[in-house]
Amino acid sequence: MVGMLFGIVSFVVVAFLLLLFVISWVQSDPQRVQFVRLYFNKENIIRAVKFLIVPGWRDQKFSQKEYEIEKTKSKRKFFRRLLKPLTLIGIGLIFYIIFLAIYAPWIAIYPLEVVTNVAQAIDYGLPYTLPSPLHPWGTTRFAYDLYSRIIWGARTIISFGFLTIIFASVGGIIVGTISGYYGGKVDAIIMRIVDFSLAFPTLVVIIIFTEMISRDLITILLVFGMFAIPGYSRLMRASVLATKQRLYIEAAKTSGAGNFKIMFKHIFSNAISPIIIRFFGGVGAAILGFAGIAFLGFGDASFPDWGTDINYGRGHISMIHTTFFPGIFILIAVLGFMLFGDGLRDALDPRLKAMSK
Amino acid sequence: MKMVKSKNMLMYLVKRVLIMVVMIFFVLVATFFLTNLMEVNPVLNKMSSDPRVPWEIYLEERERIGVDKPIFERFLIYMTNFFQGNWGRSYIVADGVPVTTLIAQIFPPTIELVLIPIILIPILSVKLGIASAKHRNKWQDSIIRGVIMLGVCVPIFFLATLIQFFASNILNVYTYGVIDFETSSANSINIDYINRLTGFRLIDAFLFNDQALLQDSLLHILLPSIASIVVSLASITRQTRASMLDVMRMDYVRTARAKGVAEKDVINKHALRNALIPTSNEIVGLVASLLIGSLFTEMIFNYKGMGWYLFAAIQGGDYVVIMGLIIVDSIIILSGTLVADVLYTVIDPRIVY
Repeated sequence: MVGMLFGIVSFVVVAFLLLLFVISWVQSDPQRVQFVRLYFNKENIIRAVKFLIVPGWRDQKFSQKEYEIEKTKSKRKFFRRLLKPLTLIGIGLIFYIIFLAIYAPWIAIYPLEVVTNVAQAIDYGLPYTLPSPLHPWGTTRFAYDLYSRIIWGARTIISFGFLTIIFASVGGIIVGTISGYYGGKVDAIIMRIVDFSLAFPTLVVIIIFTEMISRDLITILLVFGMFAIPGYSRLMRASVLATKQRLYIEAAKTSGAGNFKIMFKHIFSNAISPIIIRFFGGVGAAILGFAGIAFLGFGDASFPDWGTDINYGRGHISMIHTTFFPGIFILIAVLGFMLFGDGLRDALDPRLKAMSK
Repeated sequence: MKMVKSKNMLMYLVKRVLIMVVMIFFVLVATFFLTNLMEVNPVLNKMSSDPRVPWEIYLEERERIGVDKPIFERFLIYMTNFFQGNWGRSYIVADGVPVTTLIAQIFPPTIELVLIPIILIPILSVKLGIASAKHRNKWQDSIIRGVIMLGVCVPIFFLATLIQFFASNILNVYTYGVIDFETSSANSINIDYINRLTGFRLIDAFLFNDQALLQDSLLHILLPSIASIVVSLASITRQTRASMLDVMRMDYVRTARAKGVAEKDVINKHALRNALIPTSNEIVGLVASLLIGSLFTEMIFNYKGMGWYLFAAIQGGDYVVIMGLIIVDSIIILSGTLVADVLYTVIDPRIVY
């Protein structure tokens, strides 16, 4: 008993002495004091004690930090998957075209009026000439300067591609979500209409539509977008049908959420990824289709665009540059969007991800 | 069991064909109103060559072809005639020829034009897809995918013009513009296509042993075929590659490899047969889309098939020709999807309708 008491007292004394020694050692250097105040403060000690005693306890701050780290990690992984050489080339080409579109007034030699207005263009040269110092890539029909026309045409192409696909995908999302969510008769009717629109030769009907209404760019854009809606709505419908079965939709229904809220808050945000994956490829396809319509001579001649340029060069085989340069630029734009779209699909599509493992 | 399935199949077929007929009727109605509301004046287009035509004759002509009637009356007249087999007479593209006769004349050239692509594209693209899946993520794969990507992105009219330029100005094989056998080759001056029996120039050339005609037709087909092959390789190749990659992960492929089957047999017998199921669908779709005729290739190479006449009809405002051609096109498209669906069950017995 006495031995035990002695032992305890001696231990306390030694511990006190050691503590004094440590405190004096710490206080001898201001850096050590700072370090101790930073890490051995009240909060941290309480947290450590809680962590040791309370089972299953997690610090909120700490887990938030952990979550952020994981997020950046997965973001980095996504970028590593996305930034393959081909995708990088695609991004470069897209930026090149967007650069041309934005800085067109600085890059182009002649202003926009001169390359779209016949009366003004004729003052600057002759139609169908070979490249010369005045016209670096020669001139095309109506003495339009080809170089400036191509540079200005980037604006038309970029805005047409993006606006059409935004219009088409918004329409497709609305139609597809409604048809996939309600099912039954609504679904059957909408899908019949979609099938019906797929029975036409699309290009021809777009041309006839634009002939019927008017030949300006907005009409072509809307008609083109309208005929792209069925594809997107099919995609969205399939995705919605898969999402509808999830447990959280059931939970939202039981907690009394309205149809509209379920459709455009819960389902929409979870089912939209296929549309995003298809977006850039769709822009490329829209640019290609628009060039095709313009090539057939049904485009809007008051805007400079590359399809119309190729139409102007048709039949002038000895002046092949009037076909070659606009064609190359269509190729660049479409290639950029398609490559980027493919890269995005490979990076986002979970099915392909599983395959590459 | 087999009996039940075929009975179901028959019901399914009947149902599909009925839906198709209804759909074609709707296509007919929609096309009628679309084309007749177009802002094109066929009478003026036809007479514009002579500006001295008096106004009375213009009105008379309008009355004669019936453009001045109200649109619903025209619709009724067209419908009654359509179902009696009278699809109208062409007004601008082929003066006075009945549309049915015109289509019978211009459909064979389109079929001939797509003959080489229809045979070559499936073979080439399935081979490319297999090679690309076999050497996944290696340089062979990259090259194939790059070429396919270029084929997707290049506008067909641009490619066709370049091919034309290459053949005419660099190789000096064909004359510029229209590929014309008569001017490019001296020994075919007296070639004229009289021996018309089937409408197919190739078949007629064989039947009548007309070698000049055969050579002429083949030369006309060659360049457009190259253009359409390059452009339409992509979809089947991608589909084959994706499904090959899917199938190669399957257990039975691993089993075959473990058994010691040669790699060639694993790919050609075990993997490819299962991988081709989704590809067959794509092939049928491709055939349908080729058969309706490409506006671009036919226009650039001045090849007078369905696409060329459709384009000319839209430009000139030849309503009945547009309607007839669109009806034929949509029949081809719809029967293409029908054939694809039926073929699916034949190839893959697991699918039952």
